[in-house]
Amino acid sequence: MTASSLDLTRLSEHLPTEAPLLAERTFPLDIGRYHTDAIVTRGVEMVFQNGSEQFQALKGIDLDVHIGDIQLLMGPSGSGKTTLLSILAGILTPTAGSVNLLGREITSMSREQLAKFRLKNIGFIFQGFNLFPALTAQENVELALRVKGMPAKAVRQEARFLLDQVGLSAQAKQLPRDLSGGQKQRVAIARALAGNPRLIMADEPTAALDSQNGHAVIELLRRLAKESGRTVLMVTHDPRIMDVADRVVYLEDGMLKA
Amino acid sequence: MASIARKNLFEDIPRFLVAQAGIVFAVSLVTIQVGILRGFTRGTALLIDQSKADIWVGSADMVQMELTSPLPLEQLLQARKVPGVALAEALVVSSSRWRTPDKTVPPTKRITPVRIFGFNPKGQLFAPEPITQGSLSALTEPYTVIVDESNQQSLNLKQLGAVGTIASLKAKLVGTTQGTQSIASSTYIFTSLESAKAYAQSGISPEVNCRLQDGNIRCNSNYDITSTAIGVDNLTPPVPEKLSATDPISYILVKATPNQNLKTLKQALEKALPGTRAFTRLEMAQQTRDFWQKRTGVGFVLGLGATVGVIVGMVIVSQILYSSVSDHLKEFGTLKAMGASDWVIYGVILEQALWMAVLGYIPGILLCLGLGSWTLATQGIIILITPLTAGGVLLVTVSMCIGSALFAIQKVTHVDPAIVFKA
Repeated sequence: MTASSLDLTRLSEHLPTEAPLLAERTFPLDIGRYHTDAIVTRGVEMVFQNGSEQFQALKGIDLDVHIGDIQLLMGPSGSGKTTLLSILAGILTPTAGSVNLLGREITSMSREQLAKFRLKNIGFIFQGFNLFPALTAQENVELALRVKGMPAKAVRQEARFLLDQVGLSAQAKQLPRDLSGGQKQRVAIARALAGNPRLIMADEPTAALDSQNGHAVIELLRRLAKESGRTVLMVTHDPRIMDVADRVVYLEDGMLKA
Repeated sequence: MASIARKNLFEDIPRFLVAQAGIVFAVSLVTIQVGILRGFTRGTALLIDQSKADIWVGSADMVQMELTSPLPLEQLLQARKVPGVALAEALVVSSSRWRTPDKTVPPTKRITPVRIFGFNPKGQLFAPEPITQGSLSALTEPYTVIVDESNQQSLNLKQLGAVGTIASLKAKLVGTTQGTQSIASSTYIFTSLESAKAYAQSGISPEVNCRLQDGNIRCNSNYDITSTAIGVDNLTPPVPEKLSATDPISYILVKATPNQNLKTLKQALEKALPGTRAFTRLEMAQQTRDFWQKRTGVGFVLGLGATVGVIVGMVIVSQILYSSVSDHLKEFGTLKAMGASDWVIYGVILEQALWMAVLGYIPGILLCLGLGSWTLATQGIIILITPLTAGGVLLVTVSMCIGSALFAIQKVTHVDPAIVFKA
């Protein structure tokens, strides 16, 4: 194995056996898509209530994201992209509609069930990196591994492996404040890979990066999807990412445009 | 794996030090208030605790050690005849006025109210402890006294052999003790029974000074004998008389024979000595402490201070923890978004609170120990920090930090995980 390839098979050695990818269905799906869709939404709506005023952020969202695809979600500011991403991540509950992730209907899950589902299946990459400033790069990854239940003995070795995968072995002991924006995002990607999740959800992952670092991160995300079969859902304004995307959907005024 | 709680704390050292200073202050506030309360409580009955007497016999209307009616010495002799009494000694507690002869001392600092304890220096049942300079046996010399080290300055007794006056009689320092002074009382003076009797009876003497001035005789009267009148070194009072049967004493201290039932002996003493009440040493100490704590309100005030200390401490720690949690809210939100259970986050906050408690407690308690030594040496005020007090304060500190952490946790409980998507 080399640092340039994403060999994530070792992760599974330390983790509990995964449930079948698509375990059960709780709402009707197109049989043809049964084995190929990582994310399926139907009629998702989101209404925010502010006092007596209502604001409908999402209107009837029907979305299908295939396993192993890089799916971009684009649109102008205020179009509802982040709201939709929060719903697809199980962080927000829609006011109407259904959301099926990896064959599980998540809108009917309790808060605790959702947390467990996220912990097991979803890795997050944030625009602001959201690294713990007091922890080194390695400790940030170790924390994610510990939270995901990896045995303490394996955590250090695994964190080193993940940092190696994103080309940051030399910076493992550095604090986030001593890293460049691109390096921070690569640490965040390593952290997102902790626990070998099947879905990666990224919110403007290149927005805070310069051209060179942006390209490096894009390439890393492409390899994530294509070499390890993960599904990557990305909210972005960055047109550079369109070159590596399998599908792009546009959101405008809370509605998907073709 | 590094502790995120510890790393969060040490991330910004200046900020951490400011926060810890707040906790050190809170710990010190609680410790000092509790220490003063305990020191005060202990000090009011310390002489009773130190006595070797099994039973204290006092007047039936005795309120506390320093507030009682006199008994005739004759009752001491009667007490010695009561079956079960192995030893009985007299103790005299009286009040008087100390005057220093040193003219360099400002006039407003020359007079001090004193509480005189007269006892048999060769006896076994009462003595101030420890004797740090001089010796107890030196009190057998007439008009000699032992004082607490903390009072030497206020009495202007710089070294052994220094002299002052009590009422109109001289008093020579022959020893010092330490930690015996109650902060609730006048300055303690320890002397022999005979000297105590002499001081009590000396009262205030009239004196007239006259001199010839401009052909006229000018006189002024002075109702005290002082060094200005005749000079302390020239005082030659008569040797004090031994106590007679009719002389007043304050207490009869009793040592029981081995295996004697104290309850039975108390009853026998009260029966043999009309107008008296007998207390075991513990009962006597408790009676005295109860007076100061409950009847004077001093105990309430100090107890209130300790309670306020705990509350102020909690507010300080809460504010620090709440602020710390607010600063790391996005990080906690990230953990929640990742799917970490609330207990992981609570664990971080609680661990942080415990570190703050321990790292605030250690310097706080050390500071108080140092302050306690200083106040005892210079002011005679005991800030009593026993292992029990220290343990109790640690428990309070940990409790208030955990209580504050629970308060801070409320903020995390309501954090919207969607916060993580806001750049």
